[in-house]
Amino acid sequence: MRLYIHWPFCLRRCAYCDFTARTAHPRLMRAYASALRKELEIRAGEPGRKGGLRSLYLGGGTPSTLSGREVGELVSLVGRLYGYRREAEISVEVNPATWREEDFREAFLAGVKRVSIGAQSFDDRCLRRLGRLHDSVEVRRAAREARRAGIPSLSLDLLYGLPPGWGGDLRRDLERALELQPQHLSLYALTVYPGTPLGKAIGRGEVLPPDEDAAAEEYLEAVEFLEGQGYLHYEISNFCLPGHECQHNLAYWRREEYLGVGAAAHSLWRGRRLRNRESVLGYIRDLGKGRLPVVEERRLEGAEVREERVMLGLRTSRGVPHRLLGACPKAEEMECLGLLRRERGRVALTARGMLLSNAVIVELLCA
Amino acid sequence: MDREKIRNFCIIAHIDHGKSTLADRFLEITETVPRQKMADQYLDRMELERERGITIKAQAVRMEWSPGPGETYRLNLIDTPGHVDFSYEVSRSLAACEGAVLLVDAAQGVEAQTVGNAYLAVEAGLAVIPVVNKIDLPAADVEGTAMELADLLGVDPAEVTGVSAKTGEGVEALLRRIVEEVPPPGGDPQLPLRALVFDSSYDTYRGVVAFIRVVEGKVGRGDRVLFMASGTRAEVDEVGYFSPDMTSCRELEAGDVGYIITGIKDVSRIKVGDTVTGHDRPAAEPLPGYREPKPMVFAGIYPVDSDDFQELEDALQKLKLNDASLTFARENSKALGFGFRCGFLGLLHMEIVQERLEREYGLNLVITAPNVVYEVEKRNGEVVYINNPSDLPDMAVVREIREPYVQATILLPPDYVGPVLELVKERRGIYQDMAYLSGRRVELRCRLPLAEMVVDFYDQLKSRSRGYASLDYEHLGFLPGDLVKLDILIHGEPVDALSSIVERGRAHEHGKRVVSRLRELIPRQLFDVPVQAAVGSRVVARETIKARRKDVLAKCYGGDVTRKKKLLEKQKEGKKRMKMVGKVEIPQEAFISALRVGREEKAR
Repeated sequence: MRLYIHWPFCLRRCAYCDFTARTAHPRLMRAYASALRKELEIRAGEPGRKGGLRSLYLGGGTPSTLSGREVGELVSLVGRLYGYRREAEISVEVNPATWREEDFREAFLAGVKRVSIGAQSFDDRCLRRLGRLHDSVEVRRAAREARRAGIPSLSLDLLYGLPPGWGGDLRRDLERALELQPQHLSLYALTVYPGTPLGKAIGRGEVLPPDEDAAAEEYLEAVEFLEGQGYLHYEISNFCLPGHECQHNLAYWRREEYLGVGAAAHSLWRGRRLRNRESVLGYIRDLGKGRLPVVEERRLEGAEVREERVMLGLRTSRGVPHRLLGACPKAEEMECLGLLRRERGRVALTARGMLLSNAVIVELLCA
Repeated sequence: MDREKIRNFCIIAHIDHGKSTLADRFLEITETVPRQKMADQYLDRMELERERGITIKAQAVRMEWSPGPGETYRLNLIDTPGHVDFSYEVSRSLAACEGAVLLVDAAQGVEAQTVGNAYLAVEAGLAVIPVVNKIDLPAADVEGTAMELADLLGVDPAEVTGVSAKTGEGVEALLRRIVEEVPPPGGDPQLPLRALVFDSSYDTYRGVVAFIRVVEGKVGRGDRVLFMASGTRAEVDEVGYFSPDMTSCRELEAGDVGYIITGIKDVSRIKVGDTVTGHDRPAAEPLPGYREPKPMVFAGIYPVDSDDFQELEDALQKLKLNDASLTFARENSKALGFGFRCGFLGLLHMEIVQERLEREYGLNLVITAPNVVYEVEKRNGEVVYINNPSDLPDMAVVREIREPYVQATILLPPDYVGPVLELVKERRGIYQDMAYLSGRRVELRCRLPLAEMVVDFYDQLKSRSRGYASLDYEHLGFLPGDLVKLDILIHGEPVDALSSIVERGRAHEHGKRVVSRLRELIPRQLFDVPVQAAVGSRVVARETIKARRKDVLAKCYGGDVTRKKKLLEKQKEGKKRMKMVGKVEIPQEAFISALRVGREEKAR
């Protein structure tokens, strides 16, 4: 069993973000937290929850708008309700503007073993333009304090493919990031969504849209650089030192079962995909009435399961078993184009193929 | 009625010069249509005609008018189409009349087509009455326009009547002139029947309605008739006239204008210009002037959604019922799927057909760049006609390609002669001569390849003369040209719908333009895609669409899976709508835009 808890609140919405996230008012957060506890309790009473959690992931939003102590309490509550396996991976996403050493320590003492810090960049101008509430100094401080607090696995998120003229430079950011000796790195291409402040600024012509070719260059260079530094490129956007893969996320790509609680959380459970209500208010109201906030529940058919396997499996460097694609004529074509590679009965994307994964997957599934 | 009291006449006017409004006044004054039933421009029945203010189908209306006590005249007004594409129809309408009102807008002056049609009337021996319209307008130059008309016809300016079709001023006086000056029809009713079909329309229940002018003899219900050019034989179910609705009568005799219905359902069997004669007592000779309608401009018409193919075919068939000059044949394009190669009299005709298909039948269409018909002589002496550039035989077996030319007459103020001559030159035109018409207008004559005219010549002419120039043309026949077929290749695959026939010297320039537009229009693929323009095996222009580098969803965790799946479904759907050229996926919109480029810029 794996558990995901969604904390939809942020201090402020970033310029590029279209995620379900609300700015945090303490009273709303309290009401939400108690609804969350309710859902955790209801779900824990359902059949099949025995055996202890293999992982817990606290994501958002910004879960670190909760204090380290509050996160610790949540982790302990989950432990009482579901139990943890000995090797359980417990992760929390942290915004550098929020936690102090004290918070990291409280979290660590409650069992948190992995923190993922949203650094995004080491360039202060870029950070400002992205609407982040922290500068690069705070990123360094947070990483060092997490380490000092005893957190054994540290991950940093970085953004690349920033608008031309912002001075974004993934290679330089990576060099600075490596100074902090993270066990794990996530590199995300900046995606511009039309409704966001950034999307609107680009629409008005105030900001140039990101250059896809330049982003592709940055990415390929980063892959080479990190592999040279001993990191494994184990998923499209994720890199780690050996043994530090995020087990929880790997489970998504392997289509293992997981339970998601909180507003907008999804679950994959017993062949069904479930989706919780997005509205925080609605979520609170549902649980106030003792109702589960599920708004969609779908049983997956064989063909759809196969599609999911291909689509998710190809995100990872392990890829998928060749037989999953059947006798796909497109696979060979993609291989000739240097986008796919075949090894020992498995098919995986090359680094260039990963950059084009949407298109390649469509080709493979349409064939 | 005594034939001496019949007047058959038409109105010759440029678009917007007020022909339909004048006809409306006639209907009102003669009380053919009660005032309260008078929709504006009664004669233009089709919605499209009304909107564009032009007449597409000629109509003929019978009016009874008494200029004074005791005398009643029968006036048959035969409406004529007002556009150059329909000059053959105009000539047939003129042949059905003895007189013509030459109507010119006092604010616009004489336009090229008016000149062309006026001389057609003069040559047909019609009494021509020059009339200046819109004398009520403040911007009207009545005197200047009257001078022009006088010069045109070689009459005294005092013989030009001024009217305002809008207010009705001068219209009765004009009717009086028509009665006085237009001769009554001749023709012996005792001779074998000869009647001219000057137009036809289609009635769902009754079949083809042939509009006729009886020249000699008579025709009545139950008569057996023969259409001399098409060889069609039929029995007359009904004869009648328009007043303005169809009114049946016993018979029509020499001098009369009206209609006959024979139950024939196929318009192609009753052709405009044909002569109707008696089956049992046929005339020795048909009336002169019959011509097969020959489409000169061709374009491919395709449904955007290939499921609409059958609907498109049905719609074309229905249009054809009322429009014998429209031709179409099934065609299959690699890029656009199944559609039709359609033939039109000219560009306006094409636009009207397109608009009617879209408006009346709700079809969403892709139209390829229009092209003309080419006469191709092969080395073995065989001559073939090509109406689709991609059908052009291999140049190795071609001795000569000939293209249709037109004799163009352009009327314009002297100030714009420079820019217009420039345009003529750009369009491979051959300047012939120039003449001053009344000092404020120049008549410029030149020969132009029709292919250059079908693109946007008229728009360019208007824009370079600030709207003052007007154009008339007639077909001259085929002249040899140094022409080549320009193929467009995407990733090495020729795209049939984008092939064109161009002058050799312009192949490079034209190819470059199409290729660079395609580079903008075709989305990047997973591999580099060369786009080439080629004449035979020689590439004259080339661009490369670089391979796409990045198309990735950066994050895909628990909650993103559903979203990612939706994205994937959308991409899969999009892929289905793509047209494949070899391995290259091209959205249909790209083809549509590329074809539009072809249309707008082809000859620029």
